Amino acid sequence: MTYQTQRVAYPYMVVALLLFGLQVVLGLWLATQYFVTVPQGVVDVFPFSTARAMHTNLLVLWLLLGFMGATYYLVPEETKSELAFPRLAIGQLVLLTATGVAALVGFLFGWTQGRPLLEIPRPLDLLVVVGALMFLFNVAVTMVRAKRWTAVQGSLLGGLVFLAVLYLFGIPFYRNLAVDWYYWWWVIHLWVEGAFELVAAAMTAFMLIKLTGVERTVVEKWLYVELGLFLFTGIAGTGHHYYWLGAPHYWLWVGGIFSALEPFPILLMVVDTWRDVKHRRGPMEPRLTWVYLIGGVVIHFIGAGLFGMAHTLPQINYYTHGSQVTVSHGHLAFYGAYVLLNLTFFYLAMPHLKGLPGGRYDERSGHFAFWCTALGVMGMSLAFAVAGVLQSYLERYLGQPYMVAQVPIRFWMGMAAAHGVLVLVGVVATIRHLLTLQAPAPASEAATSANPAGTLPSPAGG
Amino acid sequence: MTERTAKWVFWGGTLSSLALFLALTVDTHGQFAALTRADQLDDTVVAGKRAFERHNCNDCHTILGFGGYYAPDLTRAYSRLGADAIRRRLAQPEVAFRDSYRKMPNQNLSREEIASLVAYLEWVAGIDNHDWPPQDSAARWKRSTDRLLAQAALSPAAALVQQEGCLTCHALGDRGERKGPRLEHVGARRSAAWIGDYLEDPQRLAPGSEMPDYQHLSAGQRQMIGEFIVAAAARGGER
Repeated sequence: MTYQTQRVAYPYMVVALLLFGLQVVLGLWLATQYFVTVPQGVVDVFPFSTARAMHTNLLVLWLLLGFMGATYYLVPEETKSELAFPRLAIGQLVLLTATGVAALVGFLFGWTQGRPLLEIPRPLDLLVVVGALMFLFNVAVTMVRAKRWTAVQGSLLGGLVFLAVLYLFGIPFYRNLAVDWYYWWWVIHLWVEGAFELVAAAMTAFMLIKLTGVERTVVEKWLYVELGLFLFTGIAGTGHHYYWLGAPHYWLWVGGIFSALEPFPILLMVVDTWRDVKHRRGPMEPRLTWVYLIGGVVIHFIGAGLFGMAHTLPQINYYTHGSQVTVSHGHLAFYGAYVLLNLTFFYLAMPHLKGLPGGRYDERSGHFAFWCTALGVMGMSLAFAVAGVLQSYLERYLGQPYMVAQVPIRFWMGMAAAHGVLVLVGVVATIRHLLTLQAPAPASEAATSANPAGTLPSPAGG
Repeated sequence: MTERTAKWVFWGGTLSSLALFLALTVDTHGQFAALTRADQLDDTVVAGKRAFERHNCNDCHTILGFGGYYAPDLTRAYSRLGADAIRRRLAQPEVAFRDSYRKMPNQNLSREEIASLVAYLEWVAGIDNHDWPPQDSAARWKRSTDRLLAQAALSPAAALVQQEGCLTCHALGDRGERKGPRLEHVGARRSAAWIGDYLEDPQRLAPGSEMPDYQHLSAGQRQMIGEFIVAAAARGGER
């Protein structure tokens, strides 16, 4: 950490992590309801719908707070200047967290906009817009004052402005359901496959420059190509959500063709990362940060690229649309693309923010936490996928009524919940590890614990 | 690749995709009115949409395939269940889903809300969305039911269904009305014995139902109607 104002990133990351924990708890409760009969009395008071609204809004809230924290950490280093208004940044965190908590409590009492993922009531939407404007103002003024522009900054700021503008399409009440969903996807799809990708690509490029020491010009050149492909396939690829909502037939062609190309930019990102890692200067230290970086890139490709591709063509999507197949893809893609991205950034930034020398930290329990979560999410997504394929066959193909087709799926939802327990354990361990980062243990101690044979570890920092 | 080429890839890719997307958006808006029968989108239907959102129905149910995946898709709920069955589920879910292992919350809906929700679902069922979802494809039901009726037209049970006027409320194939649930849907969910019992006294198994009783038929006749309906259960894989 070189600049004092980077410190404002730390409380953002702490709040984001705590909300992440709560999100996973609610997710486990949701999965449980698929194989256990919840009594009518409980359902009347705390229905599945309320828990789902909380689960998804917590995800969006903590990912955005993570992105914002990352931005506040990254912008001073990129612009080589202090943040313009550090106090405003803290005020913005308080405002957004308070709005989020008010929304979550409101859901419990039935205060909702009632549209999936956009349940935050309209009065609170205005507060979100105010928070977003505070954020963009702060970042933009810092960049303009510094008069130093990089592609990383451009991608980041472009993504953040795009994100804020798209949010506006989710606010009005639409009389026509088809038109409603048409613009709902401008928020949801164009966020995750447009604006978020811009932010993510900027964060990844920044981390690759920091971690590998590969020249900025090389990383930024490929950043342009990646983003060009992401947006080329992603924008028109929105059409894969327009197949069955009452839109014209040509969306089956446009959506099918463009989204069939969507795995390529992700594949390019895997290749780029691989090349930068090969040309790195210096050792892969701290090891855990690298595990997160590479794990994120790989699971991003599997979850978003492959699992997405598996049901994006209209001929297949006709049977899988709105089934557990979507759930499977959604969980693995969000985890690989955005959860791991945020966590990687936290592992990069938090040791510096805590003032640990050289950004090194004691990694030991972090590796367990990573694998526990990663294997848990993978197992869960596979269980959802089996449930989804069964559902597509029984309900959509054979024509069984919904609840009849749900009976054989109960077992697989139970398997998903069992892996959810693994995820919860892993996430709690991750949060605990990140919030209590410590300097690495002295070399002799580390050698005995990690290497019982007693061979000496190579000197750190090489 | 030079940085100049890379920038070209970025701007070329982004702007071409954006131009295509926006042009199609304009064209799509021109077609929505016809595809969604927007002329029938009156205030009652819109009130139904507001009630649907107020009670957060969409975080359990999907509609047009979007939403929570915890409860049945509602795109064609009206053509599958009919008005009366939807009303009963909304008014007293704890009764309608007494035997189900998954419950629906009772949200204490007003009479007006229930009426507007039925109107809303009726409007949604008419959206032309390329015959999705497959399990509710009217064309598929018609084909499978036609085949069945061709074989069973001379059966005594078919004659009973005709004679008792079941199709003045229920749909079967492309015939009948949408007041009660579609018979193929009933047949897929219930046993012949259950249907026989139900015909004897609908109020016992579904309190509040508008279905009349058929006590003037013999137990054997009621059982035969049950068998006919179970045999008519939607057949899959025949697109």
